[in-house]
Amino acid sequence: MHQFNFRISLVLTMLIMVFFAPTEGFSQDGAKIFKGNCASCHKPSTQKLIGPGLQGIRDRWPDEAKLIAWVKNSQEFLKTGDAYANKLYEQYGKSIMPAFALSDEEVIAVIDWANKGGDAPAPAATADQANTGGVSTDSNAQADSDSYFLVLIGIAVLLIILISVLGSVKRSLETLVNEKKGIIVEPKPVLSPLQKFKYWSSQNKKIVAIASLLLVSWVLKLGWDGLMGVGVYQGYQPEQPIKFSHELHAGQNQIACVYCHSGVEKSKHANIPSANVCMNCHAYIQQGPNYGTEEISKIYAALDYNPETRVYGNNPKPIQWVRVHNLPDHVYFNHSQHVTVGKIECAQCHGPIDSMAVVEQYSPLTMGWCINCHRETEVKFEGNDYYEDLHKKFMEDSDYKKGDVFTVEKIGGLECSKCHY
Amino acid sequence: MSTTKKYWKGIEELQETPEFLNLQQNEFAEELPVDEFLGDENLVDSSTNRRDFLKFLGFSVTAASLAACETPVRKAIPYLNKPEEITPGVANYYASTHWDGMDFASILVKTREGRPIKVDGNELCPITQGGSNARVQASVLSLYDSSRIAGPMKAGAEISWEAADKEIIEKLTAAANQGKGIRILTSTVISPSLKAAIENFATAYSTTKVVTYDSFSYKGIAEANKAYFGKAIIPTYSFDKADYIVSIGCDFLANWLSPVEHARQYASTRRVSAEKKTMSRHIQIESVLSVTGSNADKRIAVKPSQIGIAAVSLYNKLTGSSLPTKSLDGKDDSISKIAKELKNYTGKALVVCGSNDPEIQKIVIAINQYLGSYSTTIHTDITDNTHKGNEEEVNSLIEEMNSGNISALLIHGCNPVYSLPFGDKFKAALSKVDLSVSFSDRADETASACSIIAPDSHFLESWSDANPRTGYFSLGQPTIQPLFKSRQVLSSLLKWSGAELDAHDFIASVWENTVYPSTSSLKSFSDFWQKSLHDGVVIINSAQEDMNEVSIPEAVDLNKAAGIISAEAAKSTGTELVVYTKTGMGDGSQANNPWLQELPDPISKVTWDNYVMMNLDEMMEKGFNTILGQEQKSDTVEVKLGDKAVVLPVLAQPGMPKGVIAIALGYGRTAAGKTADGVGANVAGFIQYKNGYFHYNVSGVSVSESKGKYSLAATQTHHTMMGRQIVKETTLEEYKKDAKAGNEDILFATNLKTIGKDGKATAKELNLWDSFENKNHFWNMSIDLNSCIGCGACVIGCSSENNVPVVGKDEVRRSREMHWMRIDRYYSSDMNEEVAESEGIGAIDKFLKMEVPSSDDVEVVFQPVMCQHCNHAPCETVCPVLATTHSLEGLNQMTYNRCIGTRYCANNCPYKVRRFNWFRYNENAQFDFNMYEDLGKMVLNPDVTVRSRGVMEKCSMCVQRIQEGKLKSKKNGERPKDGSIKTACQQACPTNAITFGDFNDTESEVRKAWNNERKYQLLEEVGTQPSVFYLTKVRNKNAEEA
Repeated sequence: MHQFNFRISLVLTMLIMVFFAPTEGFSQDGAKIFKGNCASCHKPSTQKLIGPGLQGIRDRWPDEAKLIAWVKNSQEFLKTGDAYANKLYEQYGKSIMPAFALSDEEVIAVIDWANKGGDAPAPAATADQANTGGVSTDSNAQADSDSYFLVLIGIAVLLIILISVLGSVKRSLETLVNEKKGIIVEPKPVLSPLQKFKYWSSQNKKIVAIASLLLVSWVLKLGWDGLMGVGVYQGYQPEQPIKFSHELHAGQNQIACVYCHSGVEKSKHANIPSANVCMNCHAYIQQGPNYGTEEISKIYAALDYNPETRVYGNNPKPIQWVRVHNLPDHVYFNHSQHVTVGKIECAQCHGPIDSMAVVEQYSPLTMGWCINCHRETEVKFEGNDYYEDLHKKFMEDSDYKKGDVFTVEKIGGLECSKCHY
Repeated sequence: MSTTKKYWKGIEELQETPEFLNLQQNEFAEELPVDEFLGDENLVDSSTNRRDFLKFLGFSVTAASLAACETPVRKAIPYLNKPEEITPGVANYYASTHWDGMDFASILVKTREGRPIKVDGNELCPITQGGSNARVQASVLSLYDSSRIAGPMKAGAEISWEAADKEIIEKLTAAANQGKGIRILTSTVISPSLKAAIENFATAYSTTKVVTYDSFSYKGIAEANKAYFGKAIIPTYSFDKADYIVSIGCDFLANWLSPVEHARQYASTRRVSAEKKTMSRHIQIESVLSVTGSNADKRIAVKPSQIGIAAVSLYNKLTGSSLPTKSLDGKDDSISKIAKELKNYTGKALVVCGSNDPEIQKIVIAINQYLGSYSTTIHTDITDNTHKGNEEEVNSLIEEMNSGNISALLIHGCNPVYSLPFGDKFKAALSKVDLSVSFSDRADETASACSIIAPDSHFLESWSDANPRTGYFSLGQPTIQPLFKSRQVLSSLLKWSGAELDAHDFIASVWENTVYPSTSSLKSFSDFWQKSLHDGVVIINSAQEDMNEVSIPEAVDLNKAAGIISAEAAKSTGTELVVYTKTGMGDGSQANNPWLQELPDPISKVTWDNYVMMNLDEMMEKGFNTILGQEQKSDTVEVKLGDKAVVLPVLAQPGMPKGVIAIALGYGRTAAGKTADGVGANVAGFIQYKNGYFHYNVSGVSVSESKGKYSLAATQTHHTMMGRQIVKETTLEEYKKDAKAGNEDILFATNLKTIGKDGKATAKELNLWDSFENKNHFWNMSIDLNSCIGCGACVIGCSSENNVPVVGKDEVRRSREMHWMRIDRYYSSDMNEEVAESEGIGAIDKFLKMEVPSSDDVEVVFQPVMCQHCNHAPCETVCPVLATTHSLEGLNQMTYNRCIGTRYCANNCPYKVRRFNWFRYNENAQFDFNMYEDLGKMVLNPDVTVRSRGVMEKCSMCVQRIQEGKLKSKKNGERPKDGSIKTACQQACPTNAITFGDFNDTESEVRKAWNNERKYQLLEEVGTQPSVFYLTKVRNKNAEEA
């Protein structure tokens, strides 16, 4: 039976692993460049966005040099009078592809990657999970411990049933033996369950004491956990005024986070994009796959924009998004410190945003959670002259032992005035 | 043995009256008025029974607690169309110009998400060189003043701009057509564009004339220069080139002409180091102890009427002439000595005088000419254009108004009803003018008497330009959209003169035609305009004729001038009064600014009031209370001159001669707004208008007891160092001999054989704690007491940067001011250990006498004190919740969200720099200052927490700036450069007295300061090892003075 349960748990774990495994990895240069520069207008498939889908682009542009020139500066290339390019330009409503400061190699990398239709859906457990790997492992671990807990409960229930069955078997056997021996067993006085319990507890004071102690501790723990949870809004998933789906934009369309959250590398705020950023694409994309024109038209309404005439009115109304991640006012958090200097991936704190149709608060955002990360995370000192001497001093410290890690804590990352002032 | 004594509550109990016995049975003496609080008479008929009540109660409690568990919904509202240059969370800086009729400064405005939150000096400006003063620092709060009016007003009611424009244009046209006078009454216009706009206006309305009026007049200097050089100019001064400075009643460091510039120049001559062991010598001859006087090497106190005599005597002694003069009440010897010393400083001396009397100024010019100061320390080729007010024109304007010849008057940049000595006459005359328009941003004393108020925008909402002196231009740009329906004066004048031009375009066109042709470096005007906007300043080479070669012309009869001066001095009777301007309040135009109201006056340390300053001994003779304290109320006196009288508290001020009193201008506003109204009394009425000049020194004043008591709120109530070495001081001669003079190590006798020869050790060597290495940064601050002039700009800078609340007069009186830094001011005392010993004075008497400042020739030292960031901090060890801790970078951190308010730390702090939030100062109607209003809260720095009630706070060494600077360096992959991170106080300081930096950076300025022999730490003997240290004060005293 035990083996059977183990098998179940194994199957469950596998299922969960498959379920939580990342759908795609994106580590190639081509993919990265594509997401940073092209994804807002192109798809790495045959599907059209603002511009044409890029799958099979090589077939359409036999001369690679021309293609590179076109990608790097389309306006200049149009002036050469290339027939195909001009045709494309007309076909896509004369929307201008901006110039890109990319090297030839980078353009080729993008074309190579997009030509084959982007990343084919990756098999579940390839080693190539660089970016979302951390997250998926976490969720697997979470799933594993959950399933083990279920298995334990199952085992416990089965054992209880077993004990009671064995007990009743034992009683019937005793009655049988007694009947055979001719011993008449006097029927016990009939006691109410409460009286029974009282009698039993008076006979087993130690057990009662221990049990009460356990009970009290359990209640206290429940209370403690409850109090610690006050103000922690992990999983907070408010409804937004526009049903913007990160799953669609960041997941399927693979628009880089920084494209919209442009402050993340230079400011304390990642910034909710202003509506004019939406319009970079939605001036052309007027219909979405999930809600048709309904949600997109809310952007137009906010900007007082008429999609037919393409004219902005003079009665715009700001969009009131609901903040998902709220830190108390006495906490200073700076995105650029973590993203630019600390080189932390967005997903580490925000979770698998690219699979969230409605964004939820993934991390608890408690001080303990911050502190833990500061204890464990190694300072990204390589190639940063700010840290060079500091790292040297750390290594030369007499207290330094092999295996010590140059963590954020070591440079004062747990100090109050790093976040509170 | 038990006592048989019986205690009874009253005669009723003793006699056991029936009423008493009856009452004894009841719990309450009277029947409780249950009906009153149950109230409703129909309660009995109500169908709501007790159970229902409990149900409702239960439901509401549950609902409330459930609601509390829900996530609070916070909105995030992004821009619809984000301006390219704005990144939310990152500050933008714009170069602009501050000019309010009193202080000129090229400034850098820090904005966050489109709101200006901090004003600092622009380092590209050759005048201020990045310095600023308290009034400039505080000007950002005046922007968010809720007393500003919402739009144009007529007869107390709001009207639209269209209606106002229509009426004004109609009346102006009618006036011009009828040939009736139109006058523009304005403070000095230094804006070339505004000048051009006024010219346009005068072309459109031919009867227009401009009358210039400054609240504080410099006409005397201009007229004296006119007598000499033929042109009414105010020259510019180079205090940095002067090795010997004599100031006769001139507060050039805090109030006179261009104080920020003077302070910076002056400090550069006062700094001494191993490389430069010289400094200027500064003599101050004055009546009232001023900021400048308190920094002098030698100060000579004379009566106001003798200021002129002092100048004449100096001239006589210097040149050997014998102009008519009088004796100087025993100070003649001092003047002789100065004259003797001055002779050795030809070409390196500077004599300045603050008087508005042209005769005295003529003598001063003669002295400077004799000393060869012209074109070395005084420049007539570069003139100061900031003060061209002419009170004579104002006086004749009133006559014209009364005669009915003026039918339109536009008033800009001044408040004559309040600030003129004959303000009531002006107000009366105003009613005879058909159209009176005020450009004031509020319905102030003058504006409320005008027919229309056309509110000017704040300078942070406007385009502006300035030409404060020859060859120097400064450009101002708006940093926020106008908060109210205001319109800048330039636009209003353009509109009324029929030119539909926007202020920006107009200024650009003026610059294209005037400033741009004088520059040659840039190829197109648009390039030039962009660069000028970015830099904020433009310097063109356009020196005027240098007049140094001009000899004393015949027209200047010094004998006559000296005769007039002596005759005036002889007329002086009774008590003499000096009307002066305070460093914080100035002329009172920013009186509604709570930061300035709460800034302690550098000298008296009193906030929120003006008062009568009087000689200490005289006060004792008259029986006035001389002690300032929480429970010691000041006596009030009535000061009377003719029909003008004010009642004000009287304050003992060392350094004033007997028979002299002084009162500050700028108080007693009646229509400035809720903060300013009713604070102090207006003494503009005491200014004497004589022969076309305002005289700020007045004689014949009577001072009489008015039997009142008044509480003054001072931040410092003890005035001397009581024999301790808090400020270390030496003289230049001593310093030259031994760089450690005045800063000798304090040695403690120990029984340790290991230390020194005889077991004597310094505090640093005696240490209970383990040593600790600051591996990364080690933030240190050095304060040069020789540069600090005590002006208080840093205090406002700090309040502005760190969201320090204003607490109001009553709380300051209770010593609950919240300023993170204070500037301690100490007077010298005649009593010291040696004197006590030789005279056999006992300990108690000795200390009592030590607290009394020197009666004559008092010396003053200033010492800015903020959290010393002790490396062995006494506060840290006593905090029960670790709310105050030490960082690896040497900062003493204060964590508000951890603090439970035991105040142990404040009690254990030897420097008394910790401030406790006794109340919630924000959003609290009891503290109705800027943090109570939505508008005022816009000035808050979003990077600094607004503290709540019950927590301790203190200087953080601007940790938010440190963190910002470090982050910037990390992003660039480099170590922070020395000087790239500045604290707010350092940035505000006009004299560069404060240096901040990383001690671990061996090349840093602060490290160099640490190695200076003058370095000492405050209360070193306590063993706290602070990260803030001071450099000894050095005075340039000669041997007999020392």
